[in-house]
Amino acid sequence: MTSSAPTPDDVIDQAVPLAPDHPLYALRRERPKVVASTQGSYEGMFSPAVQGISVTERLLVALHACRLSKADSLAAHYRSRLLADGAEGAADPALVDAVASSNAALPADARLQTILGFTAKLIDRPIEGDRAAIDALLQAGLSTPAVVALGQLIAFLSYQIRVVAGLQAMADAGAAA
Amino acid sequence: MSAPPVPASTPIRSHGFTNEVLGWKAWLETVDLATASPEQIAALEEMSPQAKQSAYFLLLAHQPEMLLQRSIAFNAIMFAPGGMPRAERELGATVESRLNGCVYCASVHAQRFEQLAKRNDVIAQLFEDPLSAGTTPREQAIVKFSADLALKPDALSAEHVRALRQAGLSDMEVLDLVHAVALFAWANRLMLNMGEPIFPAATAAAAA
Repeated sequence: MTSSAPTPDDVIDQAVPLAPDHPLYALRRERPKVVASTQGSYEGMFSPAVQGISVTERLLVALHACRLSKADSLAAHYRSRLLADGAEGAADPALVDAVASSNAALPADARLQTILGFTAKLIDRPIEGDRAAIDALLQAGLSTPAVVALGQLIAFLSYQIRVVAGLQAMADAGAAA
Repeated sequence: MSAPPVPASTPIRSHGFTNEVLGWKAWLETVDLATASPEQIAALEEMSPQAKQSAYFLLLAHQPEMLLQRSIAFNAIMFAPGGMPRAERELGATVESRLNGCVYCASVHAQRFEQLAKRNDVIAQLFEDPLSAGTTPREQAIVKFSADLALKPDALSAEHVRALRQAGLSDMEVLDLVHAVALFAWANRLMLNMGEPIFPAATAAAAA
C-alpha cells in the first residue's frame, strides 16, 4: 500500500496503481491530453447516454476482456462496478462469476453469448474478424450504432490493458538510473 | 524550410503487407455527412481535416463522444512535441499493426514513418520478419518492446523497460512508446473487424 491514495477518478492510476507522489504519476501528467482523453474515453465507453447496449452488458464485456488478457487489477475494477448498485442495479453475482471465468460455460442468454464471443475474438485473434461476425451481432438485435459502440469498447480495452501493463513494468523497473 | 527532397518511395510488398496507399470499406452503414449531428461533425473535425471523407471515421461517428475522445488521444499520442521522435512512434504503431495483421494500418503508418525518417529500410525488415527488425540497437530495442507489449501485455516486466533504457531511451520516451503501441492495439481491432482494406488494383477496377 502507498501512503497517499490515487486520484479516485483516474482508472489508469487506480489500476497500476500510481499515487500522486509516485514519479510515474508526474510523468503521465507531462502528457495531459493523453491522461484526460484516456479517462474521457473510459467514461464515454460506459456512458448511460449510449443506447442499444446496456451499461451492464458493457461492463460484462470489459470483465471478460480483462480476464482473457490476465489484466487482474482492471478485471477487479470492472467486477466491483458490476456488483455495485449502479443506475441499472447490481448484476447477478452468478452471471458475473461465469463471465469472469474464461473456462466456465458462458451464460445461456443468446445475445450475451454473441457479444462475449465477439469480445473474445477481438481480444485474442483480431485478424480473424469478418463480416459474418458483424452480421451475427446485427441478428442478435444490436443496432449499427450499438455494434460500433461494442467494437470501440473492446478496442479501447485492448489499449487500456496495454497502458496499464506498460506503466506497471515501468513502476517495477523503478526510477531511471 | 530547406528540408532535403524526399527520395521516391520504394514500393514494399512482403507477406501480404505493403507501404502503398490503400482504401478501406466499412461492413456497416456509415454516417451520412449531410444529416450528421453537430456532435458528430465536431468529433470528425477533432480527428483530422480528412476524416469527413473517410469511411472509417464516418462509421465511428455513430458514437460521437467515443470518437471525440479517441481523436484527442490519437493526436496527442502521435503528434505531441518532445519525448520520443515521431518517426519512432510510427515505428511502434507499425510493429503492432504488422503483428495484428492489420494491412491497412501498417501501410498508413509505414508511409508516415518514411515521411518523417526519409527511409523505409526498417519497414521492409519489419514486413519480412517483425521479430528481428531494426537497423540500429535502439531501433531493435523499440521493435522488440513493441512486439512484446502487442502480443503478451501480461508478461511485460521491468526487464523490458531496462532494455529500452540500455538502448538510450528516457522514461518519457518509454511512456510515449507504450502509448503508441497501445493506441494501435485499439485502432487495429476496429480496422480489422468493422471493414476491410481495398487494394490498388481493386480501386482502379472500381474506378474504371
